[in-house]
Amino acid sequence: MTSTQPVLLVLLFGSVAAAATALGALPFAGGRRPNLTGIGAAYALAGGAMLGVGYLLMTHGLVRATLSVMLGAGAGVVYTRWIQHYAGVDTLDMRPGREDGADFGYKIILQNTLHSAAEGVAIGVAMAYELALGGYLALALAVHNVGEAMALTDVLRRRGMTAGESAGLAVVTKVAQPLLAIVAFALAPALGGLAPALLGFAAAALVFLALTELVPASYQRLDARRVALLVSTAAGAVVFLHSLVGEGEA
Amino acid sequence: MTAALLVLLAGLLTALATGLGAVPFAWIRETSPRILALTNAIAAGLMLGASFGLIAEGTRYGTAQTILGGGVGVAFIVLGERALAGREIPFGELRGAGARKILLILAVMTLHSFAEGVAVGVAFGGGEKLATLITLAIAVHNVPEGLAISAVLRPRGSSVLACAGWSVFSSLPQPLMAVPAFLFVESFRPVLPYGLGFAAGAMVFMVFLELLPDAYENASRTTVGVWVSVTLAAMILFQRFL
Repeated sequence: MTSTQPVLLVLLFGSVAAAATALGALPFAGGRRPNLTGIGAAYALAGGAMLGVGYLLMTHGLVRATLSVMLGAGAGVVYTRWIQHYAGVDTLDMRPGREDGADFGYKIILQNTLHSAAEGVAIGVAMAYELALGGYLALALAVHNVGEAMALTDVLRRRGMTAGESAGLAVVTKVAQPLLAIVAFALAPALGGLAPALLGFAAAALVFLALTELVPASYQRLDARRVALLVSTAAGAVVFLHSLVGEGEA
Repeated sequence: MTAALLVLLAGLLTALATGLGAVPFAWIRETSPRILALTNAIAAGLMLGASFGLIAEGTRYGTAQTILGGGVGVAFIVLGERALAGREIPFGELRGAGARKILLILAVMTLHSFAEGVAVGVAFGGGEKLATLITLAIAVHNVPEGLAISAVLRPRGSSVLACAGWSVFSSLPQPLMAVPAFLFVESFRPVLPYGLGFAAGAMVFMVFLELLPDAYENASRTTVGVWVSVTLAAMILFQRFL
């Protein structure tokens, strides 16, 4: 990995995660009405992987400085909560079949855009710390993006959009992801002493997003046993994979 | 042998400390779906925080073993739940699904104490000068675990005394396991990461299987998210400084 320009890798991972979004619209091509049971599973897997990455970011930060990690984590929760509140997406009824309100269309797009921005920052921070860790996160977010785009396309199709149009829109909501990943990646080393706080911020933003958006959405589409199984498997897999190719202890 | 007695006493002390977790619930009397949702979220955060510590500790001895233990922990709950399903096992005045949920959570918390007891014993084996410090640390760290158990029991009708009793009960394996682990450190050390992973896997699975679905049903996503992350962070801080 070291032979490639790291910034290019960040761009690559971030873009792959964003581009994967278009795959979510694919099953709808030609006016088909696909089986949507996979959405809940994608959310649960991505939520679990985000918890696993959050755990690793936290432990990486905690060996350096406990208090700044925790302050950063607090800021991560407050920031994510604040964004959700002011965009009005925290009261969105995400239950399948309830998506027909007038403002649901723009709010769901707003929600997807906002959390992909936070996820982009997390990719950049994770990769600045350890390229492999950011890679897992990008992979998890790609899975998450596919599920999300399926849910979005399902809503937009019923509002008269074609699968192609909705694939485009789904990708547009993710454009900020690779861009913010690069910004965060570039800024992280310059922040020096703030690095632990940044790790805490990214970890908390991921955990909070998983708890307020991905996990509750997966409960609405899947029974609790499958959700629990997928979440714990994904989280465990991230921690295990990281120990295989991780670049050593901090 | 006096050293072993000391370890036993220390373990008993830490078990009793778990009962302190019931104290805040002396002030909670009425139970509404909302309170149930909040206490579920609090218990979820505390259990996730405890798993955080268990995995961090387990991976120091071996990541693959810890994760493998975690898988066994998940399988254990799946099988345990299947074995309990459909059976009528009353818990106090509770019956049906509520009683089964409480039984599973008590089982998880009690089983995790076995792993913690081994951790205490192995740590004691490292040097007796640290003994007082470690005992104190484990005792303090047990209080939020009692809090988690009481948070599940109390809103479902258990008395404060019963909450404290079950909390202490869940920690009794600590002294029981600490002594043999201390006496036979060399044989117990290799098992430790599996045990810690088992406990973490079972707890995380329990959180997503039983605690969070109820919480989301009766409180908003944001409320649940805030309570879980705050208690999770508090638990991590608690474990780091004590």
